[in-house]
Parts: sequence; structure tokens; C-alpha cells
Amino acid sequence: MDGISFALEKGEILGFLGPNGAGKTTTLNMLSTLLRPTSGTATVNGHDIIEEPDAVRRSIGFVFQDPTLDIELTGNENMDFHGRLYGIKKDLRQQRIKEMLEVVQLSDRADDLVKTYSGGMKRRLEIARGLLHYPKILFLDEPTLGLDPQTRRSIWEHIQRLNRDEDITIILTTHYTEEADYLCDRALIIDFGKIVALDTPDRLKARLEGDVVSLTFKEPKEIANIRAMLEKKDWIRSINTTISSNAHNTMSRMMHTMRGMPTGEAGMSGMMSGLGGGDVRQVGGMLKRPRQTPTHDKAGENDRGGSEGGPRCLNLLVDDGGRRIPEIVKLVDEAGVVLESVELHKPTLDDVFLTTTGRNIRDERGSFMEMIRRHRIVRQARGRR
Amino acid sequence: MVQPLSGQAIYVVLLRELKRYWRAKSRIVASVAQSFFFLAVFGLGLGGFLGGVRGSTYLSYIAPGIIGMGLLFGSVFSGVSVIFDRQFGFMKEMLVAPVSRTSIIFGKILGGAATASIQGVLLMAVAGVMGAFQPTVRLMFGALAAIGLMLLITAGFVGLGVAIGSTITDFHAFQLISTFVMWPLFMLSGVFFPIDAVPVPLQVAMLLDPMFYGVELLRWCLSGSITLVLGPFGWLIGLGVLIGFNALMVGLGTYLFSRAEV
Repeated sequence: MDGISFALEKGEILGFLGPNGAGKTTTLNMLSTLLRPTSGTATVNGHDIIEEPDAVRRSIGFVFQDPTLDIELTGNENMDFHGRLYGIKKDLRQQRIKEMLEVVQLSDRADDLVKTYSGGMKRRLEIARGLLHYPKILFLDEPTLGLDPQTRRSIWEHIQRLNRDEDITIILTTHYTEEADYLCDRALIIDFGKIVALDTPDRLKARLEGDVVSLTFKEPKEIANIRAMLEKKDWIRSINTTISSNAHNTMSRMMHTMRGMPTGEAGMSGMMSGLGGGDVRQVGGMLKRPRQTPTHDKAGENDRGGSEGGPRCLNLLVDDGGRRIPEIVKLVDEAGVVLESVELHKPTLDDVFLTTTGRNIRDERGSFMEMIRRHRIVRQARGRR
Repeated sequence: MVQPLSGQAIYVVLLRELKRYWRAKSRIVASVAQSFFFLAVFGLGLGGFLGGVRGSTYLSYIAPGIIGMGLLFGSVFSGVSVIFDRQFGFMKEMLVAPVSRTSIIFGKILGGAATASIQGVLLMAVAGVMGAFQPTVRLMFGALAAIGLMLLITAGFVGLGVAIGSTITDFHAFQLISTFVMWPLFMLSGVFFPIDAVPVPLQVAMLLDPMFYGVELLRWCLSGSITLVLGPFGWLIGLGVLIGFNALMVGLGTYLFSRAEV
């Protein structure tokens, strides 16, 4: 991490959005006292992460990216273990366990061994466990990684209900932009250990006026010529090259557009309203770790690409995109290049990410080992029944 | 380095070890069966060929050593299981809680000692049924003393296991631990032959093995005989060595564990 600083309000859902290896988990580990920052500090629920680690740990619940349940114990026993570890008295503990298992709808499976649970059930149990000791702040590290869309939606609903009914402040990390869009009051875009943007999803999207037109070509090698040609047109605000279309999650976006975008307005309440002022719960501060040398330059990655054949897609930000499509198609056609498809959409957080970092959030990077590890988590999450 | 201990945390980690032990029935069965084979084949088979040792049958000579084997393997593996806790993520759940690592490791050591000792009691019963011990009044007290002794022996070896498990991060190192740590400790503990009957270099190696003192003391409790190599107060020396080893290993395990990366 490279000198990041932010503050969080009580009752807020803040999303850390960034590609693998951007520093999301590292930040959470520092805020939860598992990792000591090399310099700087932070305050969580009024407690300093270096001076008062135990008080910090009591204030937070942490749902880790990798599963951390004891699968040889039952759901109830995992909860009980946690309750005792946090020193909750017996009567209160039993009542609270019952309550939390009901919240995540696992009451009927409470006495089954966790190894018989599905991926989504395990995730829900971890969330319930993270909340057992009445934390003020819940950290969720990639809460829906590897879960199917239906389970993901149900986890999202649980998270929103907790935030609303139990008044719990939530920090979550994700590399799914639609997750940040759906859940978060504010999204913090993080890349190479730095904060590149912090605002409500709606305002972030509003920064990109106009529409996004995504052109996918049959032949990757033509892309540079076309780009050079289009860059001369003054009605195109910006152009980005990506491996695949930036519009491939249109389905899920449509789903929550229909559901009425519940997050947006809530985030209007003052942003960054002064460190430590009034009743603002402060999380954050300066965190520093030695900066890792970026292993690639942005343009380079885009031009070389990661998959065979290189990038095949141009994303154009234009005013009144629908009316410009014929003109764009004509231009491309005149240049003698074959188009595979044209897509038009309103700017999404994907596009915000692309324009602020120059990269598509889904273009995998990170080490080979990291890839294998994530693959394993995804496999485990899908889980045996 | 001194961290506050939490009784509740120690207890809950201990409880988890017991529950996990109890649920892994196949492991209990396998371990008891293995010891039974050792007792049957070596005790009855080799015993018929060799005759007795120190005025008792060969079976009753090796029985305390075979119990010791169960204690040794059970306790070291239970300590090494911190590797699995780390691998399967449960370690994070414990470490992010507002309790000291020392509490967690004390719970782990007590839990490992308890489960390995339960194992030892089961093996003692099996050996008893096979007729390894003379049914006397002395045996009743001896068996009770043996249970206390088992806890003392195993705590140190769980500590050793935790120390190993906190240092290595690789499953594959298991085979190495088994070959270079467990088996030598077992073979040199005087299970199969009395120390007085072997060449001096081997005697020295046996005296360096803490398990040797454990087995000799178990033998003293269960069949009344003890080596004369340690002198007339051999049991006291044995007890002293075990207590010293315990303190060393529990300290080392705690130290290495609290320094280990998550």
C-alpha cells in the first residue's frame, strides 16, 4: 500500500474495488491488526490498530476470503467456538447464536457438520459468525467469490439487511463491479496500492458523460489502426482497448436496474466529512507499505494482451452513442476491417475502472500461484453437497 | 513476550481438540489396531522365541513401550496439526479474535495431551486384556499414576509438534518428520530391548531420547521393573528429565507459534 487515506462513516457500506493484487486484502489485514503497517496507522471504532489491537479486534467481525470454518464441527459448534473465544456469556451466547443462524436461514442445519454444507451455506455461516460478538464494523473480503449468481444475490440481500437492521458498518472488497454498484454507498477504486477514486457509484458513473460503444473485431491486428483513426474524431471523449468486451455482464446489470438501484442516494450523505469530526466513526488514516514496482506499463499490457491474439475490443465514450453507431460502423467499414459486434451501454463501474486505471478489471494479473490459489477457493466454494 | 492468558480461550481450543478426536473414529480404531498388532506379533511371536526380560514375559516388557508409541505419535501429530489449521484457514479465525496466541497454543497443547493420553488409556486396556500386566493391588495405583504420567509425557511432545508445525509450512515435510523425528524417538525409547543389553554408543543415544524416560517410568508404574542404569532413584531422574523436556518444548512451541506468519 502506498500512503492511502480514507474515512468511513457509521452505518456506511464501503466497497474496495480493484483487480487481484491491488492491495484490498492487505488493507483489511492491516485494519484488523493481522498485519502491521510498516508506517502510518489507522483508527477503527476509535481504537488505534497498533496501540489497542484487542479493542480493535473486539469492534470488528472479519469474513475472510478463504474459508475459515472447521468443517469437522457443526454449524452450531463453529458459532459456539467463536462466541467463547470472544468471551460472550453462556445465556447471551446461546440466544445470539440462535438469532444469527435464523438471520442467515441456517437454523435447520445448525447441528449438521459443516462439511455437508454447500458453498453458499458456508459463506452465510461465516457471515453469521462474524456478527456474533456484536461488532460495530464488518469486514467482508470478497464475500461472493466463486458463488453462483443466485447465491450471490442472496448473500447481497443478507448484507443489506444486516446493514439496515443491525446498523453495522461494512467494508467489503470485491473485484466484481456489479457487486460494488449494487451494495455500496461508496466505492473506493484501488490500484497498485493507491486510491484512484472514491465516491458513490452513481457519481462515479456520472463522471463519464455519454454512452459507451464497444466494438469487437474479428482480427486483433487491425485494432491499432482503427484506434488511431477514431482518436482524430472530436466527438469521441476517450478510447480504451481491452481484451474482451466491457459489456459482458449486461444481464446482471439489467437485473438490478429493474430492482430499482437501492444504493445510490444513501451515499449522498457527506463524503470524507473531516477526519475525526463529530459522530463520524473513523476508519483509515495513513497506511504505508513499500511500494511494489509495477511489473508492466498500462499501454503495454493492453497492446500485448493476455489471451491469444491480443485485445480485440475498443471501448469508446461518446455523446449520444446510439446516433453515432452508424457513423462508427461506416468508418470501420471504409477502412476495410471486419467488425464482429457492436454494443452500446450506459457507463458502468467497469467503464469507470477502465478510464481511471486504463485497464479492464477482469483482465487477470497477479502471480501464477495466486491464480492457482483463487482457482482452489472457487472450487471449494462450489463445494461438495 | 508474556501475553495474558484467557481461561475461556484455552478451554474452547481444548474442547475443539477433544471433539475432533472423538469424531475421527476411524483414526482411533486404526491406532488401537496397530498397537494390538505390535503387541501380538512382537509380544507373543518374538517373545516366544526370546523368552522373558528382567524376570517378566516379553509381552509385559514391551507393552509400556507400545503404549508409549501411541502417546508419542498421537501427541506429535496433534501438535503438527497447526499446519492443517493454517492450511484450512481456521487459524485465521483464532488469530483475529481478541485473545493471545499463547492462550491458543496452551489450549492446543492441553488438547493434544488429553487426546493422546485417552489413546494411551485405550492401549493400556488392550494390553491388559492381552494379559500384559499382573493383576495386583500395586497395578491399580500404578495404572492411575500411569495416566498422570501420560499427560506429562504427551504435553512435551505436543509442544515439539507445534514447534515443528510452526516452522515448516509444507505437507510433504511430514514424511521427513516421521522418519527423522518420530521413528528415532520411538526406536531408541527401549521398547524392544533393555538398555543394559546394548553397546555403549546405543546406550548414550537412548539416554538422549526423552521418550526413553517416559517408557521406563510407564514400565515402572505398570510392571514394577525399571532399568538399573539410572541408579537407585531412576524414577526421580526420569521424572526430572520429563519435566525439563516439557518446559523446554512448551516454551519453544509457544515461542515459534507466536512468531509464525498467518
